[in-house]
Amino acid sequence: MSADDLLTRLRALVGQQGPVQSARHPVNLPAIADWCDAMGDGNPVYTDEEAAAKSRHGGIVAPPATLDIWDRPGLPAQPRFRPAAKPPAADPRSRTLRLLEEAGFIGVVAVNSELEIARYLRPGDVVQNTQILDDVSEEKQTALGVGHFVTTRQRYETSDGEHVGDLLFRILKFKPSSGQQSTGTSPAAAAQARPAPDPSPALRPRPGINKDNEALWEGYRNHELRLPRCNGCGRVFFPPSPRCSSCGAFDMGYVVVSGRGTLYSFSVVHHPQVPGFRYPLVVGLVELDGADDGAGRGVRFLADLVGVSPAQAEVGMPLEIEWLDSHPALVEGATDSRGPITVPQFRPATPTRREDTLTAGSVQEGQRLPLWTLPLAPTHIVAGALATRDFQDVHHDRDLAVQKGSKDIFLNINTSLGLMERYVTDWSGPDAAVTALRVRLGAPAYPYMPLTFSGAVKSVDADTGRVVVGVQASNELGPHVTGTVELELQP
Amino acid sequence: MKHSYAGRAAIVGIGATEFSKASGRSELQLALEACAAACADAGVDPRQVNGLSTFTMESNPESEIMRGLGIPELTHFSRIHFGGGAPCATVQYAAMAVASGVADYVLCYRAFNERSGRRFGVGVQDRPAGATAEEAQFAFTSPFGLLTPASWVAMFATRMMHEYGVTSEDFGRVAVADRRHAATNPAAHFYGQPIRLEDHQASRWIVEPLHLLDCCQETDGGQAMLVTTPERARDLAQPAVIVEAAAQGMADDQHMMRSFFRESIVGLPEMGTCARQIWETSGLAPADVKTAVLYDHFTPFVLAQLEEFGFCGPGEAKDFVADGGIELGGRLPVNTHGGQLGEAYLHGMNGIAEGVRQVRGTSVNQVEGAEHVLVTGGTGVPTSALMLGAAG
Repeated sequence: MSADDLLTRLRALVGQQGPVQSARHPVNLPAIADWCDAMGDGNPVYTDEEAAAKSRHGGIVAPPATLDIWDRPGLPAQPRFRPAAKPPAADPRSRTLRLLEEAGFIGVVAVNSELEIARYLRPGDVVQNTQILDDVSEEKQTALGVGHFVTTRQRYETSDGEHVGDLLFRILKFKPSSGQQSTGTSPAAAAQARPAPDPSPALRPRPGINKDNEALWEGYRNHELRLPRCNGCGRVFFPPSPRCSSCGAFDMGYVVVSGRGTLYSFSVVHHPQVPGFRYPLVVGLVELDGADDGAGRGVRFLADLVGVSPAQAEVGMPLEIEWLDSHPALVEGATDSRGPITVPQFRPATPTRREDTLTAGSVQEGQRLPLWTLPLAPTHIVAGALATRDFQDVHHDRDLAVQKGSKDIFLNINTSLGLMERYVTDWSGPDAAVTALRVRLGAPAYPYMPLTFSGAVKSVDADTGRVVVGVQASNELGPHVTGTVELELQP
Repeated sequence: MKHSYAGRAAIVGIGATEFSKASGRSELQLALEACAAACADAGVDPRQVNGLSTFTMESNPESEIMRGLGIPELTHFSRIHFGGGAPCATVQYAAMAVASGVADYVLCYRAFNERSGRRFGVGVQDRPAGATAEEAQFAFTSPFGLLTPASWVAMFATRMMHEYGVTSEDFGRVAVADRRHAATNPAAHFYGQPIRLEDHQASRWIVEPLHLLDCCQETDGGQAMLVTTPERARDLAQPAVIVEAAAQGMADDQHMMRSFFRESIVGLPEMGTCARQIWETSGLAPADVKTAVLYDHFTPFVLAQLEEFGFCGPGEAKDFVADGGIELGGRLPVNTHGGQLGEAYLHGMNGIAEGVRQVRGTSVNQVEGAEHVLVTGGTGVPTSALMLGAAG
């Protein structure tokens, strides 16, 4: 089949509508609560009757990012025992994809996801959607290979026909190995082009542990940030010394501090690159809270920062501790420098959720949101996939994910959107209404790669209360999602 | 308090090998060539030397230098710790030795294949994580990836930028001055290769906020100075260059290039300790100094030194270096040999030689009226400084 014939057949499908897909169960509180747990979203309008009653919604609502999860099919047969012959899906996207695969466009990567909210879902709503094939692009040369962009729209309604929202979803179907040399047109392509460094932290230089500092390193092994404290006069100081320079005592103890502090200065190491670190490496000098040296000055501590890109590092930024169990024991049972090592690191301080809600008048264009770094664990990924009713094996089964060419399980799009929504509504306050979530998809979010959210207000309409916040979530591979969250605030 | 040996010692000879990226010779040969050249410059038979002074980092022991030079007897041999902080202190120890009669002629030397052999810039990650206090000093920096001098200095530089509003371009002006001076110095590696501020800005990052052109070179070579009393100097080949003052300095909460825990990290208090002694002992003031050789492993600390010595006030060095302030013809031409960015990285010892040439009036970039020349040792480390002057 020639490229023209293929395009003609693909284009014939454009505008076609799939069968109505209906949810098995109505929107319900247990599922909402599970979603909130998975996202760490504490917004009371989703779970607290009393608070929700006082909100703009007048009662409990489902998080807007859940729009497209309710009518998904449930857990399929266990992936390993899936029947070989499954009836082909009849919706226009599936038919398009089959045509493309037969023509050799076997690669797939999601490019855009845009969710528009007409009204928040409420417990009891039964959601259904119809899919329309919106567009199939002509053959395009992309960095990943030659391919076609396939765009679908899903219209969401309740069972009684009330329109509640829409989803635009765009994927690229491409021929692998037909890409150009690193033209880097899409973030997804850029992420694939970038080598994923995977250094062993065990290769970091080990600290020299001796009688004068061993109590501190012992604390770190237990994830306890200790600082030397003179038992004679109570002075807290750093780095350690066996003698207190203030009172002369040789009696050293320690204090445990919270690990919160502010960035006093930093270096961004580009060169030379040594095993055990990822570069560029941001190393921070951190003034610790709750560690007064007696002269009213916070005691400083030095460690590398996680989840902070060179451009995001800023003197004065609030930080909190993170622990890296960096070295297994060289000698089992040893507690000196031959024993296991844990090193403190710092990440941006987790922003606190706002209890009241911003008004549009109090928001300025260009205003930045505080950074939020999520030290993404496999649990986040699996819990997020299940809470968004996404049972694709690549989000929960590492073996199958690796078999399919992925480095590990990775975050599903609905969880990325959910986290992004939480990030913005934690900043805006609970009674902001989200009207749209639009993202371009980039690098995969794998476990153990801290995912950092950053954002800035793109536009404010003080009359209508419409506020658009630009958001990006990035990890060491690059931008994972880049997009906007549209809000409605009180003017 | 004035130091009693001040004015009672003189540098009478300087000698160096060529400065290269691959000497093709042993470090011991480089040291012996430099020492022999310093003696020849002074017109002193090496066998008259009975004192040696060098760095603890030096790989060539005094016994090997003694054997190679055919020295029959040594009565003084001393070493100074803390890497690049040592150069001016080698001359200070030599001056104290000759002024007190402990030795007659003392050679100060430093030689290495720092480019073709062990490079300092590759990092301390292979240092043993041992139990000594010397090794344990690194326990709170190395496991976090802060492994190189550039990475340590960058920490100070970021804070200088934050507190004083210094910019990368201000740092770049130091590099531009060094390279301008090196461009007319045939001994410099970067002879004939000046740079513009745009070149500095376009050079790659080593450790932000330091660009490649904020960092000194790596060099193979050797440099030596011969020190004796002004009385003996009268009969020698070169005019005596008097050690008017010399000083070492450490200050509160001192660490080895990692004094991150002090109340303020935008200054160099250990250099302030040197400055106080230099001005007190020499009886001079900043206005008496027409040119200076300021240690420049990384550009930001040249700014801090201008402030510590009082050539300008705290936070004002960025204005002092503007408009060619530290170039030939400026307020205070600095590093007229090209410095360690332009001429060579000889752990500051080549800077002392330039100080000698300025006092003698033989620098390729001679500054008019350079009667007193300030020379400094490494920055961020326990350090040293010298005031050199013409014999009265």
